[in-house]
Amino acid sequence: MEGSTDVNDFEAWLQECYPQSVRTAYLILGNRLDSEDAVQEAFLRAWKFRDSLVKESSIRPWLYRVVVNTCTSKLRQEIPHRDRRSGGETLADVAANDDFAGRIALSHDVMSALNDLAAHLRIVVVLRYYADLSEREIAIAIDRKPGTVKSRLNEARRRLAEHPALRSEGPGDSTSSEEISA
Amino acid sequence: MTMIDEGRLRDVLREAADSFEISEEAIDGVRTQAQASKNESWLSHVPVLARLPGSARGLLTAAALVLIVGAISLPLLRSEGGPSQSASPAHRSSSGQVVSGTALKTATSLKGLPTTLTLTGSGETPRPGTSSTSAAASLAPKIESTGSVHLMVGQGKVSSALATLGDLAIRDGGFVLSTQATEGTRVTKSFSNGSIVLQVPQHFFASLVAQVQRVGRATSIVTSSNDVTGQYVDFEAQLKALDASRGQYLAIMTRATTIGGILAVQNQLDTIESEMEQLQGQINVLDNETTYGALTVSLAEAGQQSHVVTPRSGLAKAWHDAIAGFVHGFEWLIRISGPALFAVLCLGVLLALGRLVWRATRRRI
Repeated sequence: MEGSTDVNDFEAWLQECYPQSVRTAYLILGNRLDSEDAVQEAFLRAWKFRDSLVKESSIRPWLYRVVVNTCTSKLRQEIPHRDRRSGGETLADVAANDDFAGRIALSHDVMSALNDLAAHLRIVVVLRYYADLSEREIAIAIDRKPGTVKSRLNEARRRLAEHPALRSEGPGDSTSSEEISA
Repeated sequence: MTMIDEGRLRDVLREAADSFEISEEAIDGVRTQAQASKNESWLSHVPVLARLPGSARGLLTAAALVLIVGAISLPLLRSEGGPSQSASPAHRSSSGQVVSGTALKTATSLKGLPTTLTLTGSGETPRPGTSSTSAAASLAPKIESTGSVHLMVGQGKVSSALATLGDLAIRDGGFVLSTQATEGTRVTKSFSNGSIVLQVPQHFFASLVAQVQRVGRATSIVTSSNDVTGQYVDFEAQLKALDASRGQYLAIMTRATTIGGILAVQNQLDTIESEMEQLQGQINVLDNETTYGALTVSLAEAGQQSHVVTPRSGLAKAWHDAIAGFVHGFEWLIRISGPALFAVLCLGVLLALGRLVWRATRRRI
């Protein structure tokens, strides 16, 4: 999708990117209401600053950048100073609602591992493995160099690999696994 | 080797993220708010500096840096080059050295009122923009004059020369402040010498210097005049301000009803009166110094080696100049280290602020 100031384009943004942005924010913030707030704020901000969007560039990483910045701002300013909102489902709650015992345990472990990561590492993991952004796109989204993204991803993978639920031993699953340390 | 199961991570993340439905109401809410802000210009929310093009921003930053560095370094440069600008040679001694300057710079400051008064000679007007300038202009110049003359007199004539010098001072309406004489003997082959400090009214000072030179052969004459009008005016202004404060405290004292209040006001009054007495003392000293000029005359018998230090020349002079230059350079480095450190700190803070603003501006989008 190309950047535009047309209202129709905003409608297209909403239809195409809003749901995935909310889900991405949810994985970063760990709270549904916070994530909806953050994405609403991010979309309005993006709309307000739409003229600064480079016409030729893809809107996706740019929009993610606004979302990530809003999430980071919330993590820094609002969320640490209050209890999590009641009524909003947390990642752990979601995992616990699953019917299948094995999947519950797996999801719970993975979400715990994700939540244990520092925010800057969690963001790159979510953008990489949920939003499916390339390292270059993540670099645009978090306003850092690709090398920084690579380094953060490696660090996040190393930490996540400490959790048994995500550890994969041996070269057997080389198609889906990535070696992170020798 | 430890690896991460990326496929599993993707699945779990997708599963967790897709575990709830996105409500249409939320999307409608965003849509409505976006419509409401449709006509709002985003430029109004961007700081002015961030809106400028890169070159203009750079120019503005450079201008700000120049201003800061200038503001720091200008006072420093002024203080470095101050005295030499207003000093002016007036007389030369018989040995050819520069011995006096008749006009000097006086820089004083009143608490809360920056004042700088520069008088380069009696006929020149003080620089504008000073608090004491107008007051100083209406006041007769307060000049303090001091000097020293070294005289060679004939054998056995030190005592009579001292007496003559004393008479000169008294004739001009002055007095002898102190005198000291050492009598030489033939046995020890020592020479007589002596010194006398004369004080005469300011307007007779120059004529006294001229008359003193006739008593013997002058080998060196050093006179200096210092305009302390600004300092005098500052002291008087401070005294006046303190007197006004004292009056107010006295008025408060009459209304004080508690012992604590009375004691507190009395404490303030004591402090003010103490400061007033100090100022009055300084004014009296200045008055005395500017009413009478002090001339120190040292006498020695002819044939005695002069105490006057002859100017060095050649290698010795170069060596001493080098040492003096080194010491002055070192002093300058120490003097400038404070402002330099301050400038570096300012620059650091500015850079940090600039970086913060830049990042914040980028984050806004």
